[in-house]
Amino acid sequence: MRTLSLTARLTLIFTLVTTTSFALVGVLLFKAASQRIIEQDETNLVLSARHLRRLAGEFAALPDLVAHQDRLVISVLGDASNALRITGSDGQTLVDHNPLHLPLAFPDTIAPDQRLVPTMLESLRDTHGDTVRGMAAAGKLQDGTLITIIVARSLADRQLLLRHYQRDMVRRLLAGMAAAILLGYLLIRQALRPLRTLAGQAATISAHNLGTRLSASNAPPELHALTATLNDMLSRLEEGFSRVWRFTVDLAHDLRTPIGNLRGTNEVALTRPRTSEEYQALLGSNIEECDRVSRMIENVLFLARAESPQFALQRSVFDVGDELQLIGDYFEGIAADAEVDIRVAGHARLLADRDLFRRAVGNLLSNALRYTPRHHAIDVRVEEAPGAIRILVENPGDGIAPEHLDKLFDRFYRVDRARGDSAHSAGLGLSIVRSILDLHGGRVTAESEPSGTTRFTLWFPTAPP
Amino acid sequence: MRLLVIEDEKKAGEYLKKGLEESGFTVDVVANGIDGLHQALEEDYDLLVLDVMLPGMDGWEVLRRLREKKDVPVLLLTAVDELEERVRGLELGGDDYLVKPFAFVELLARIRTLLRRGPPRDIEHMRIGDLEIDAVRRRVRRNGQRIDLTPREFSLLQLLARRRGEVLSRAQIASYVWDMNFDSDTNVVEVAIRRLRAKVDEGYGVKLIHTVRGMGYVLDDEREDA
Repeated sequence: MRTLSLTARLTLIFTLVTTTSFALVGVLLFKAASQRIIEQDETNLVLSARHLRRLAGEFAALPDLVAHQDRLVISVLGDASNALRITGSDGQTLVDHNPLHLPLAFPDTIAPDQRLVPTMLESLRDTHGDTVRGMAAAGKLQDGTLITIIVARSLADRQLLLRHYQRDMVRRLLAGMAAAILLGYLLIRQALRPLRTLAGQAATISAHNLGTRLSASNAPPELHALTATLNDMLSRLEEGFSRVWRFTVDLAHDLRTPIGNLRGTNEVALTRPRTSEEYQALLGSNIEECDRVSRMIENVLFLARAESPQFALQRSVFDVGDELQLIGDYFEGIAADAEVDIRVAGHARLLADRDLFRRAVGNLLSNALRYTPRHHAIDVRVEEAPGAIRILVENPGDGIAPEHLDKLFDRFYRVDRARGDSAHSAGLGLSIVRSILDLHGGRVTAESEPSGTTRFTLWFPTAPP
Repeated sequence: MRLLVIEDEKKAGEYLKKGLEESGFTVDVVANGIDGLHQALEEDYDLLVLDVMLPGMDGWEVLRRLREKKDVPVLLLTAVDELEERVRGLELGGDDYLVKPFAFVELLARIRTLLRRGPPRDIEHMRIGDLEIDAVRRRVRRNGQRIDLTPREFSLLQLLARRRGEVLSRAQIASYVWDMNFDSDTNVVEVAIRRLRAKVDEGYGVKLIHTVRGMGYVLDDEREDA
């Protein structure tokens, strides 16, 4: 399904609400009006009947009534829809005013002493199918003669009136609705203008001007949060871009060293004939430089691959203590050369990618070995923390200044660039550690006291995501 | 032993031929997939070294068609180190898989492993010159004198002895001895070799453990150090 624009959607909602309320109000108004009219007519009818009955009571006998029938008829004159008939007790018509020839045969006759009320009105249908309301009420002359007074009113004109009224109302309601919708649309458009402005601003941003920020100065407060969020995103993107850029520059830079060495040593070797021993030494050194480049490529590729969502971990359960022992073993020779002790402690079971685990701990340990002074010890231990297995690698030494701590894990970041020992491609080791922990849903942290202990901590969550 | 190398990169083809011939193999090099497949089907080779990225017909296709008719061992070379690629290579009937750039000694070792037929040499008891290795009791003697080694040193010596005459790269050694399958920046292997050498070779006229600069280490009693 195609999604509607916000303007269209809001207009639609607005239309729906307007139409419904207009229609509801229209229906209610119409009902109230027709009710009022009918009630009014019925009251008039009842009042006429009462009046006629009272008048009749003033006549002495039938001849009087017939002689003064104009006084009776006058009470219903003035409205062509009205009818009046007075019949005697034997059924003969005494007075008859019925210009529309309404049917007047109401079945019940109300007793002369009964008070007339609107609920006594009865309905008949005329030849056109229109309703006729009316009543037959008995009256008594002074001599006691009983007569029947029939009053009636055709509702045809009222129904016509209501139909006209209805039609007018529908027309006006429709016009009102149309105006409301148009107005609503225009107002909504106007109200959403800041959004379009924002979109316009965002559209101009590309990789070349990531420094641009969206402005929400004239926008309603609801958009301020959105703008702030988008600007935060831009900041992160900008930072990411500049990191990639720096990474590319650093990588190119680091590749220069081995390439330069290769070229230089080979050129120098070719300037004059050499002994075969010298050539052998040169070739050996060439291979070492190649290894250095290969290792860098491998590390960079690993980092790139670790960021791909397709990267598959080969998880298995193992004892962390045994693994740490094994890794400690691996560095045993170097540690002995450096006269540094590696102390391993603790046991815990962990579900993780074992090769990557070794690589992460190995990188931390080789890093620690580089900075631990002679006759000191590196502590490697595993601890269970709530929801995580913690592996701590601690070494004494000069410590790392606080401003470097959180950047340690950035690619090619070196605390001392001049000392940047790219033969060890140390600039990537710690970022690989971070990548490995990211892959496991964990994290790595570094703490350091000036001229004291430096501690790296690997947090492996025990419930993998 | 006859090998067929199917590799389109001229320099790579040349050094593979030279290196493998000097290691005692007879080597033919073909520079594209179609000719390579034809030659592999027509002639008898003990092993194929097959580059995956080839003009004309790529290595996967060569392997697939070859496997319809022949069962010769195939070692795949590729520049792409992705898990899916490895899986694909092995599913199509490749016997081993090596990612470029690789160490030549590593290639040599893989080829030898693939060609090694029947059970491995008796390794319970090895004797190289005056060096004796007892794998069962994990004891080492040289010239009748007992040498004390740490367990890792013993594994390292055992590996070198088992593959005597064969140059082993640092990565191979790290993988076999410590089961560390990543290329570490550290000189762990160099240090371990130096310490082993101090125990095994120091004070003896004939040196057994040799460094092949840039390539790795070899145990050999008939080799002169460069």
